[in-house]
Amino acid sequence: MLALLAAAGATVGRADPPTEDKELNLIPPSSETPPADAAPVASGALQRIFLEDAVTGSWLGSDLLPAPPPPPQPRWEERALLDVRSEWRAGDDLRLTYSGRLNLRAEDGLGFPSHENLTNDLREAYLGWEPLNQLFLDVGRINLKSGVALGFNPTDFFKTRAVVEPLSVDPVVLREDRLGTLMLRAERVWAKGSLTAVYAPAVSSDSPIYTSFDLRSFDPMFDRTNAHDRWLLKGIVDVAEGFSPELLAYESQRRVRFGANLAENVGQSVVAYLEWSGGRRGTVSDEALAFGQATGSLPAAAGNVLPGLGAVAFRNQVAAGASYTTALPKITFNLELLYSEAGFTGADWDEWFRTGSATGASSPIAGALWYVRQYAADQQDLISRRFAFLRLDWVDALVPKLEVSGFAETDLVDGSTRLQLGADYYLSDRWTVGGLILIDSGGRHSDFGSLPQAGSVLLKVVRYL
Amino acid sequence: MKYSKQLMAILAMALWLGMAAVAEAQSASEIVAATDKVRNPGQPFRSTLRLTEYVGGQERDHDSLVVYSKEDGATRQFRNLVQYVEPARDTGKRVLLDGHSLWFYDPNSKVSVRISAQQRLIGQAAIGDILTVNLGADYASSIVGTETIDDATRQPRKCWHLELKASNDLATYNRVEYWVEQGSFYPIKGKFYADSGRLLKIVYFRKFAQQLGAVRPTEAIIIDAVDSSLATTATLGEYAYQEIPEAWFQRDYLPHLQAK
Repeated sequence: MLALLAAAGATVGRADPPTEDKELNLIPPSSETPPADAAPVASGALQRIFLEDAVTGSWLGSDLLPAPPPPPQPRWEERALLDVRSEWRAGDDLRLTYSGRLNLRAEDGLGFPSHENLTNDLREAYLGWEPLNQLFLDVGRINLKSGVALGFNPTDFFKTRAVVEPLSVDPVVLREDRLGTLMLRAERVWAKGSLTAVYAPAVSSDSPIYTSFDLRSFDPMFDRTNAHDRWLLKGIVDVAEGFSPELLAYESQRRVRFGANLAENVGQSVVAYLEWSGGRRGTVSDEALAFGQATGSLPAAAGNVLPGLGAVAFRNQVAAGASYTTALPKITFNLELLYSEAGFTGADWDEWFRTGSATGASSPIAGALWYVRQYAADQQDLISRRFAFLRLDWVDALVPKLEVSGFAETDLVDGSTRLQLGADYYLSDRWTVGGLILIDSGGRHSDFGSLPQAGSVLLKVVRYL
Repeated sequence: MKYSKQLMAILAMALWLGMAAVAEAQSASEIVAATDKVRNPGQPFRSTLRLTEYVGGQERDHDSLVVYSKEDGATRQFRNLVQYVEPARDTGKRVLLDGHSLWFYDPNSKVSVRISAQQRLIGQAAIGDILTVNLGADYASSIVGTETIDDATRQPRKCWHLELKASNDLATYNRVEYWVEQGSFYPIKGKFYADSGRLLKIVYFRKFAQQLGAVRPTEAIIIDAVDSSLATTATLGEYAYQEIPEAWFQRDYLPHLQAK
């Protein structure tokens, strides 16, 4: 009988006690006690508010050709800011969104006290209404962004002139800290896709490019975002499981641009993506010089400073890349090739440096040459024709709660490179400390090697409220 | 009296053998399907997830997520929409986890970025995904044996020890060891492995309570097997059935998702 019972229970054994005990011992004893602040999770308003203090020190390039026009690049900046992003619900169908940043800043060459020490960036303020299920109508200043790439977004049509005094040149950060556009947006989301229509009216007119010394304190600066009537129509369609391309059509100043965004998983660790836009436009030089003349920043004769750089034609812009994530360590790499048919070729750069070398520091020609580069940056356009962009994000880098991110952007026309590496350490749920270092390198007659700022270091502390 | 004792022993043996036979009669896939039902209600639902991270046994960080879950009729897999509520630096971030369609939305950049299956494991949203995954849909299972193991509260539980192998590319992990209590089908413990065979996570389920019409685990302890000083408790709560339209699983819906 006992033998039978033993046989019947043969499969009923004890797991290896040492292994079992070892794994049970990994359970934190304090986990038995629930956290003291265990309030219900779901709350009405979604908001993120933080205070940040950041100090930046820069070192400058020397013996630049052509000499950049004033004002000189600041050697240091101290900024304290209050950043607010909040959404409130008014009933089931109405939603109010506000996003803004109040800056208190001092920097090399900026008088103190002056109204420019205090600026407010009104990024978003709009009312959203859902009159029918999955039909959304929004009106107000809205930050509408598009694009699957990280280094450059050809389909992000509302990015132009929208970035205000960023603390980092990381393209990912530039997407976050920018002004929205006053617009009316209608969006319908279905089970198999979505359609969005946008109208952004002209309520102001073009203004000269801002520098850090002529920002307005409390001004929505619609001249940057709503100087022209603009239209956008975009749609997403589920073509196959997980494959849902986005198509866009955009109109501004009687010119239409088309765009597309594609992204697809390749295996378990890779996402491949492609972003394209195309339409009739001038080269970045042509557009810059025309804009400078129209806003009175450049004399009428400035149009001849860089002759023969192309007229209006159908021009393509492309960002093609892939992300790759490693299991351990937890790093995500993004490698992209960026292309703009409107950007400088090698011959254009040669012409830029040749013309600049022959002018004096106070020459209007030098001013016009630098204006082209300022314009490209203001428009968030590519100044050169081809770039390679590599970005990494490393979560729990070496120690838990340390996040390291950085990017390298190489101008493939001349081989010059911009390199930035940053780290954020989450001291707690509320406190974050971080820093970053930026280095521009390259030959004297190269894109990044000829910039007034050769590098910078930033240190910051953030307190979430 | 002696006769009566023999009869009792025979009856006891018959009962034991009968129970063992019933237990063996359950196929591995039936067991996994039954324990999936213990964790997941049969209709779309919303729940909250409070995560507490421990480093070296000390409480470190807290995250709060709202999870919307709906089973895909075709794949039988749960599709999840996850919204971060806390900590403040992550408030409003949203993740769409729907088979091959994996998107991350950041309210700061206001764009949705497609992520890989590997990348989704980096964030805390992956924990919500682990807790609602229908293992029966993406894994081929077999019974290793029957074992009595201690649960998270060190109470012995008689369990099926199951071996699960990924059967399609939707499976997040290559291999899972799973212990399911016999009779109740309560999940007691899981060990999750990477493609390389490396043990990544050990999960203990505990605090079984009545939720949405059944007794379900309301807390999981997730131990990082790579860095054993790290552990996370995931407390599920605020369960509620909720209609979740198909349109919610479009990436363009992510900006409009808001925990109510």
